[in-house]
Amino acid sequence: MTAIDVSGLRKSHQGFEAVRGISFEVAEGEIFALLGRNGAGKTTTIEVLAGFQRADGGTVRVLGLDPHADRAAVRRRTGVMLQEAGFFPDLTVARTVDIWRDFTSAPRPRDEALELAGLRARSGTKVRQLSGGEKRRLDLALALLGRPDLLFLDEPTAGMDPEARAATWQVIRDLAGQGTTILLTTHYLEEAQRLAASMAIMDEGRIVASGGMAETLAARGGRVAFRLPEHVDPGALPLPVTVEQGLAVCRAEDPDLAAQTLLTWAAERGLRLAGLEVRAATLEDLFMEMSAR
Amino acid sequence: MSLTATYRLGTRLFWRDKAMLFASVVTPVGLAVGLPTLMRHVTAGGVTGAAALAQSSISILLAITAFMNIAVALTARRDQLVLKRLRSTRLTDGQLLLGQIASTATQTVALIVVCAVAVRFAAGVPLPANPVAFAAVTIAGSVVMSLLGAAYTAAIPRAELAAAYTMPVFLVAAVSAGAMGPVPVPSWLRPALDLLPTTVVVDAVRTGEVVAPLLVLAGWAVVGFVALRLWFRWEPRRS
Repeated sequence: MTAIDVSGLRKSHQGFEAVRGISFEVAEGEIFALLGRNGAGKTTTIEVLAGFQRADGGTVRVLGLDPHADRAAVRRRTGVMLQEAGFFPDLTVARTVDIWRDFTSAPRPRDEALELAGLRARSGTKVRQLSGGEKRRLDLALALLGRPDLLFLDEPTAGMDPEARAATWQVIRDLAGQGTTILLTTHYLEEAQRLAASMAIMDEGRIVASGGMAETLAARGGRVAFRLPEHVDPGALPLPVTVEQGLAVCRAEDPDLAAQTLLTWAAERGLRLAGLEVRAATLEDLFMEMSAR
Repeated sequence: MSLTATYRLGTRLFWRDKAMLFASVVTPVGLAVGLPTLMRHVTAGGVTGAAALAQSSISILLAITAFMNIAVALTARRDQLVLKRLRSTRLTDGQLLLGQIASTATQTVALIVVCAVAVRFAAGVPLPANPVAFAAVTIAGSVVMSLLGAAYTAAIPRAELAAAYTMPVFLVAAVSAGAMGPVPVPSWLRPALDLLPTTVVVDAVRTGEVVAPLLVLAGWAVVGFVALRLWFRWEPRRS
């Protein structure tokens, strides 16, 4: 089943086309990462999917419905963590959750929501006294109140300390494990790589790369890097390398095989490849490559 | 259910905001009780003058407690992106606005009643002769002024300007209804001022005649509703 189906989506703001005909699908129960630099069109896309804005062109289906026309029906089954949204600053964390529970049918108990978001110890604190990361956690608690089938998380861990970030990742994984579909945007590529099964990278309103995370990265191959031994001409090596900041870098489809070839070559000549590092392509490699185009 | 939730939220926030309470409760109640009491005890107008001023003062409560309060509250919540967050719940736009309007109108009606009782004891102003007509017209007036205040937020560019933007509305409402004493206005302007929602409420309370005032208020309600549908902004301007 497809939870989100976007086809040819276009959206402009005051003459500027923020989203220029993108298409992607998110399967039910999947974690999907929408990536891109600031201004790439991610937030606009989420706001259209969550029904805050009407699409200018293309079709959007969320849980089989038009998120703008059928907003009420979609809202009952979705949770939204917006990148930017305010709270009542003078209310406590507990009171804020209580108010939101009033707006939610069959809501989670307050303490359960706060526990999930790791905020239970702060329940008596006024919202204005929370740190940026804690506000994100309160946001998460509110988004989870209605036990949604689909969660939109726009920069869910921005401003969180590493511990809170790891805890949030676990919550996201657990929810996905229970069948919740999650669409997230993030600037932390490691976060996307760890969590998401599929991804799309946006640039200037278009999708420039997309697919399953594992397959996409596997198809990018990997790299072998080492310090070039003295008096060795890079051209003499058995595989093509580039020299980057004093390191010889060899990009290869199968980085393990490439490392073996290089080590054998070096052993035969009594050379040592110091600082040898072999790794598969990361999302960051892909991202930097896409952004550099 | 959701409408009662937004109604409760509006009421809770109304009474929690200490700074706003001074502006939207203490000041208008002080004026609406204090001026007639002064009139009764200090001038030669006696009870008749005090009663007329007490009736006119309803325009102050309508302009401040209903119109200004809702305009300031909604503009602040719009600019703090609280409205946007509320919209991410399953509440509909209608429930969000209607709950808030109903809540603001309720507080306004309550304060009008409090003032009517207070001037009864402080200045000897008799209670309304026809309580049903009084209730009908003050409730309708409070709802219409809250609705218009919500619609008016579309004209307010930033939250910090909200109170200043509502000031002319307060002055026109209070002067036209006679709450500032006899201020001369050009005769050509009088018919227009007589159609203001605040003026028709005060006239209805004064004369006991409610049919025409309720029709005028219905007209204003249509204006407010259409303006709300056309121009209400849930988020601050991006540029």
